[in-house]
Amino acid sequence: MTTSIRARLLALMLPGIAAVWCVAIAWSYQQTTHEVRQWDRTRLLQIASLLKDLDLDSLARLAPDGVDVRNEYPERPDSASAIDGDQVPRRALMEVRDRDGKILASSPDFGRFSAYKRSSPDANGVSSFVVDGALWNAASARDADSGRTISLIEPALTGSDLVSGVAGRIARPMLIGLPLLAVLVWVSIGRSLAPLAALSRAVRARDATRLDPIAPGPGPVEVRPLVEEINQLLARVQATFSRERAFTSDAAHELKTPLAAIKVQAQVALSSRDPEVSRVAMERVAQGVDRSARLAEQLLLLARLDEHEKIAAADVDMVAIAQDAVLARHDEMEQKDIDLSFDAAQVAFVRADATLLRILIDNVLDNAIKYGRPEGKIAFAITREGPSTVMTVSDDGPGVSPAERERITNRFFRGSNVTARGTGLGLSIVARIAQYFDATLQFAPGIAGRGLSVRLAFDGAQSTSPAGR
Amino acid sequence: MRILLVEDDDLIGSGVDAGLRQAGFAVDWTHDGVEALLALRTMSYALVVLDLGLPRMSGNDVLAAIRHSGNDVPVIVLTAKGTVADRVIGLEAGADDYLGKPFDLTELIARCRALVRRSHGRSTEAIEYRNLRVDPLSQTVTVDDTPVSLTAKEWAMLNHLLAHLGKPQSRARLEDSLYGWHSEIESNAIEVHISNLRKKLGGDLIKTVRGFGYVMDKDS
Repeated sequence: MTTSIRARLLALMLPGIAAVWCVAIAWSYQQTTHEVRQWDRTRLLQIASLLKDLDLDSLARLAPDGVDVRNEYPERPDSASAIDGDQVPRRALMEVRDRDGKILASSPDFGRFSAYKRSSPDANGVSSFVVDGALWNAASARDADSGRTISLIEPALTGSDLVSGVAGRIARPMLIGLPLLAVLVWVSIGRSLAPLAALSRAVRARDATRLDPIAPGPGPVEVRPLVEEINQLLARVQATFSRERAFTSDAAHELKTPLAAIKVQAQVALSSRDPEVSRVAMERVAQGVDRSARLAEQLLLLARLDEHEKIAAADVDMVAIAQDAVLARHDEMEQKDIDLSFDAAQVAFVRADATLLRILIDNVLDNAIKYGRPEGKIAFAITREGPSTVMTVSDDGPGVSPAERERITNRFFRGSNVTARGTGLGLSIVARIAQYFDATLQFAPGIAGRGLSVRLAFDGAQSTSPAGR
Repeated sequence: MRILLVEDDDLIGSGVDAGLRQAGFAVDWTHDGVEALLALRTMSYALVVLDLGLPRMSGNDVLAAIRHSGNDVPVIVLTAKGTVADRVIGLEAGADDYLGKPFDLTELIARCRALVRRSHGRSTEAIEYRNLRVDPLSQTVTVDDTPVSLTAKEWAMLNHLLAHLGKPQSRARLEDSLYGWHSEIESNAIEVHISNLRKKLGGDLIKTVRGFGYVMDKDS
């Protein structure tokens, strides 16, 4: 699903904010209702203290109707809302007694209500009771100076719009605020995402040839790791590109040498008046073509090896493959009078691919024969070292200096004291194939400290015949 | 004229060797820089054809060593790296000419001739000497406007004597100039070539310096 971060953030935030607001309003409503009740009840005590100083005449005038305790008056006398409890006339009934308990003034119905069982008074001395489902408040105060006891009862404030009015007034800006907030959130998320947009523009502006790092800029810390990762990727791509370019350029140069040989020999053959010279030159043309073909083959092999991520490995018998490779070179070694010793167990299974392992062994052997000395020795051994199967091919030729040994697997690298002509790709191919099958490739001095020894260790390969074979 | 060829690649080396011999040059072929410097110390060459990618000692190092030793033999460089930058580096290091691989054998020979000619202080194409006209480009000689056919060795000898007018050349010197290391020289080869040249060009062109060698007089 493709949703924008902006829409998702908005969808997550706005309902959240709305829910928090609803809870806040409900809680405030409850609290405010409670506070308003408290306030209304406490007002009864204030009225009581006003009554203590009134003379008997005033009390007598006030007593029949009681005290009007409503909180609001309607704006017009006839528009008293029946819904708003604050505007409904509400009368507190009173009874004033003197020091001796004699009634000085009393509202007509007071006696009737005083009979109801009251709840225990709260901290202010106000208690309440229920008459026919309606709540009443009662308060009593005794004045020490006059000795009067003033008692008041009033219908409790119910149906007041004070609380709902306040809640409504608070909720209204909140409701208007919500879309406003949505717009604000939308804009600010957009602004926060601006570095991402800038980054995508910077990436979009690039083509395959521009691989320099993207400038990190003053972006937020969240974006910086992304830029760094992109830059590291760019660096890796750049390195691969450079390697490929260098390889292509080297390959072109390498191909020029046999081509030059072919051309020169062909021209000698064409221009010579001596048929023997022409014949020899034509033979060399053919050799040059063979050499170009071998180089092209090796380049293609390397390209194919680079192309595939992984070639399936199976259990293959290294000893059998090595024996085949050695036998195939019998004539060659006889010509150079090379003495090869082959030391291996009956079988040695390694995890590899038979064709690639053969190519690897071919290259190692070719190297040993080509760069070993005439009438020299080659020691070929396949041994077990703990869990590893190790192939070692050593010669006693001029060898490779320690400094050059590190570069020996570089493509097109040739040792400085070699006399034979090679493509400079053999050991690159060996290294690449070894890498394929997680084998370790090492170089050391060869037989009796002379020449070169190539050591290839396949880790954890099975030595016994595996199941299914 | 004796040329030192420095090339490690057997196929290219043998081709250039054969081509230069066909063109009448004597060729000594060395396979690496160390051998080349050794040859240059013991023999005087009209030209060095130098490959840059050499084992043991790179072509550029050989070039630097030649120039460092004060030898101003003309050097023509063969290389697979034919970029402008490579050529500039080579020319500044003292190369006289550059040929990128794969090169044309006829072009290499023409450039070799041009370099040798220039090193002898002659820039005109054809050499006029008395009733002789020698054109190095077409490798033709005319006597009184009549074309004469010469073998490669006769051509080389005539050119060597023309390049050293008035200076008697010993038989050994002529042999060095005409034959490379691996040529078999018959004891009377020089006399045979001289006598053939005299037959073809006229008997009084080449004088015998008794007991020493031969000379072509400088015209006053």
